[in-house]
This record gives sequence, structure tokens and C-alpha cells, in this order.
Amino acid sequence: MDPTLLTQYVLAGLVIGGIYCLMAVGITFIYSVMKMINWAMGEFYMIGGYVQYVLITAWLGPQRWALALPLAVLTVAALGMLVQRLLLQPMFAGQLERLDEYATIVTISLTVLFRNLAVVLFGPYQFSPRDYAPPVQLGPLPINGSRVVAFLGAAVLLGLFALVVRRTWLGLALRSVAQNRLGALAAGINLSRIDMLAFGIGVGLAGAAGALLAPVFLVYPESGALSTVKGFEIIVIGGLGSLPGSIVGGFLLGLVESLGSVLISPSFRDVYGFGLLLLLLALRPTGLWGEQAREA
Amino acid sequence: METLVVDRVVAGYHEGIDILNGLSLTARPRSITAVIGPNGAGKSTLLRVVFGLLAPRAGRVAFGERAIQGLRPDERKRLGIAYVPQGPSTFPHMTVDETLLVGGWTIRHDRAGLRRRLAHVYELFPALAGLRRVRTTVLSGGQLRMLSLAKELVVMPSLLLVDEPTAGLAPRVAGEVYELLVRSRELGIGVLLVDQNITEAVGIADYVYLIGTGRVQREGPRGAFAADLGEIVRESLVGVDPTGHARERGGWR
Repeated sequence: MDPTLLTQYVLAGLVIGGIYCLMAVGITFIYSVMKMINWAMGEFYMIGGYVQYVLITAWLGPQRWALALPLAVLTVAALGMLVQRLLLQPMFAGQLERLDEYATIVTISLTVLFRNLAVVLFGPYQFSPRDYAPPVQLGPLPINGSRVVAFLGAAVLLGLFALVVRRTWLGLALRSVAQNRLGALAAGINLSRIDMLAFGIGVGLAGAAGALLAPVFLVYPESGALSTVKGFEIIVIGGLGSLPGSIVGGFLLGLVESLGSVLISPSFRDVYGFGLLLLLLALRPTGLWGEQAREA
Repeated sequence: METLVVDRVVAGYHEGIDILNGLSLTARPRSITAVIGPNGAGKSTLLRVVFGLLAPRAGRVAFGERAIQGLRPDERKRLGIAYVPQGPSTFPHMTVDETLLVGGWTIRHDRAGLRRRLAHVYELFPALAGLRRVRTTVLSGGQLRMLSLAKELVVMPSLLLVDEPTAGLAPRVAGEVYELLVRSRELGIGVLLVDQNITEAVGIADYVYLIGTGRVQREGPRGAFAADLGEIVRESLVGVDPTGHARERGGWR
């Protein structure tokens, strides 16, 4: 095996792994705070791609892609907060009982709505903005510039996210709500506001993944479907509710897919991750960092 | 310092089933008001209504001059009402320090004030001062209960709602908890205490309400309950049915 080629595939795996991390962290973060699973995560990814595409083709121009990225993230986060306020908030109203079924039905309905909305607005076509940056030469290897941007963007966002969660008052409130809703309520924290922010931040991460990958993969109505599946693969690998698990799981999945493609066959790219998943479930059913369910 | 007035409150969790049936009581500032009664009498429900976790179907809850039954819990907290639930109110992955910071959430913008308040709380709870950087998961049940109480004292509330603070604790630790409630009263905090430990609760209370099936059955200053306290304790454990015969309840916890 040629070491140059191997390095290239490892790097490609890390780049895609960084993006997977964004999806997985978003899913597990929303789950931790609100105790609900957002099945429409991939659709927020898809919307992030569309917003980015529209911004740089119709408004800002392809040179200002770096300005479009934060705008796309903020747009998706704002849309998420709107969805939370209008459709999900009512389930938390009144008592503290949680109604997972309701959240599941609402978010699955949202996937159908958003995909069809994309078809209505843009047609069933596939779009792709021009590459963000010229290829970067890493030693003897040329790497696609958009992939480098995607990786750096993901790293910056994950760092920023960790900083907010660990070092700010908002982060303290988010962690307290995630660990004990009644305890946070007793402390005088406005739960509905924290839920809304958490949902916005979580889907904002998915939107960022979509916007960053717009030039690498295509933008089309179903583009989010696979990313939701990948996100859940990582969650199971890393352990539901664990942020470090999401990060390690994301990179692991990226590497396994990439190396599987080169060492075995690229036609089964999406299968390798599931192989890893099955292996892990057999050896460690709670995931790498997961906790066993505790009652009371 | 405000007086809490609960006026003919009706409340329940399911349609058609009222846990509180027109309950009225008053909790005065700088005093301990104890609410005692058998299991299922509505004691915890009363505190949930006062803190805003459960909306009453009828009746009025006032804090000082202000009707508060429409306010959210965080709004009530800002008015000076704090709530220590019966279950854990702490956070498993946080340190003691972080937990108390969460307790100071509503006064977070006054950094110097918050720091002073935290120092004061550590003086009140010397046992916690040595555990500042310790994760709450390794604390004992008694220490966790102390921390839940300390967390709500950070903001120096004017009324503290306390639900069964000593359930499941060893008698010595329970004694420390009651001492802290007395100490809170000395600091000018009013306490509304709901308790199954009838003897101890009445022992520190200024005024006592005995409730059953969602209404007040008897009230008076502590002295008025001294004579037949033993009788009340027995009835709360065994229960009395309308025909006057004692009947077994399904345990007392």
C-alpha cells in the first residue's frame, strides 16, 4: 500500500469525521437538554446547504462564502428556535412530564415537510456552489480546498461550542437543565427559554455542517437523509448523551469509512460504519462513553 | 418581607381528581410554618402550586400584595420564593461549587454580591466548604440534602418552601437539617415546611397546619398541638376511615 495514498485517505476520513462530529454533537446536545430526539436533524443540514447556496449565488457572490457561512448557521438556528417555540414548546407546557412520542411525530413530520418544501421552492434538482478555496498542497498531496475549509470550520465551531458549554453562564444553565430539570427550575432558570436556545444551537450545528459541505457534496432535497443516519450511528457508537463520545465517534466513523473504501472497496462505503456499529454493540452495548440507564 | 397567602386553592394532576380541595393557609415572614398530615393529603402538591409547577384550578395565591398564581417558577424565584423539592435538586456531573453557582443564577449579574453570598453559604454549611471541587455524585445522601438546601439559600430568599427535607436520613443528620431551618429563620427567612416527621417538624414550627384530603383540618400555634401530638402521629401512620375505625394504609412512605 502506497503510504502517500494512505495518508490521503486518512486525511479525507478526518475531514468528513469533523463534519460527522457536528451532526452527532447537535443530536446528543438536543437529547441531553430536552430529552427528545430530533429526527429532522438531516433536514436542518439540508436547509443549511440551500441557504449557503442561495446566499453565495444570488446575493453575496461566490467570493464572500466566508461571510455566507455564519449567516447560514444563524438562519438555520433561528428557524430551529421558531420550530421549537411553535411546535415543541407546547409539549413541555404545564407539568414536567415528557412526551417523547409527541416529539418523534413532530420531528418526523418536519422531515417530510422540509423535503417537500425544498422541492416546491427549488425543484428536484441538485445544486453545487463553486469550490470555496483553491486546492491546498499538503506535502506531496493536493487536498480539495473546500474540504479543508469544511474541516477548519467544524473544528472552530466545536471549539466555540465547548467554550460556551464549559465556561459561560449560558453553558452552566444548559448543563444544569440537562442534568436535572427540576433542580434547574428551582434555581430560577427559565426552562422554556433554555430549551429554545438548546434546540437552536443543536440544529445550528447541523446547518453549519450542511453549509460547510455544500460545495463538497451536492445540495438537493434528500441530501440530509443519510446524514441523520450517520449522526445516529455515531451516537450509538459514542454513547447517547455523551459529547466526547460524539466527537470520538465522529472521527472514528469518518476514518473507518475512508479506510474501508480504499482497503476493501469504495462501493460499500456506508456499510463499514454499520459494521463498526454492530461490532461495538456486541462488545460494549452502552457505546464508548454511554451510561447504563438508571432508574430514579 | 412578604406573607404568603393561599386562598381556597383547588388543584390536581388529572381532570376530575382534585388533590387540594379549597385549601387556605398563611405563611408569615421570619417564621416556620409546618404543614403535617397523612400521605396523600396534598402536602407536596401544595408546595408545587405555591412555586408554580402546578396551576391551581381555582383559588388565589398571593405573595405580599401581589397575586402570583399566573407567574412562572423563575418569576416567583425572582420575587424571593425558593423551593427545595423532596427529590434531588442537585446536578450529578457538577461540583459543589458549580451547583451553588446555579443556585445563584438569578443574581448572576451582580458578581461581587454573588461572591459574598457564596462565601456566606459556605459559612452556614461548613461541611460543604471542604468539598467545593468535589463532584456531587460522591456525596452522601445527607450531604446532597444539605447541598439542595444550600443551593436555594444562595439568593437569600424571603420564603423557603421545603418538601420532606429529612426523608430517608439518619436521625443525627436529620437533626442538622432542622437546625439549619431554624438558622434560616434567624436570618429572616420564612419557611413553609411540609413534613412526615411530625414530631420534629412541629418541634421547630411557630405555626402548624394539619391537612387531610386537600383541606386544612386543624391549625394553631405549636403549643396547641403539643397535647395530642402522639395521637396525630398515630393517625397519620394508620389512617382513620369515616366510620371511625382505624385502618391500615399502604405504608408511610
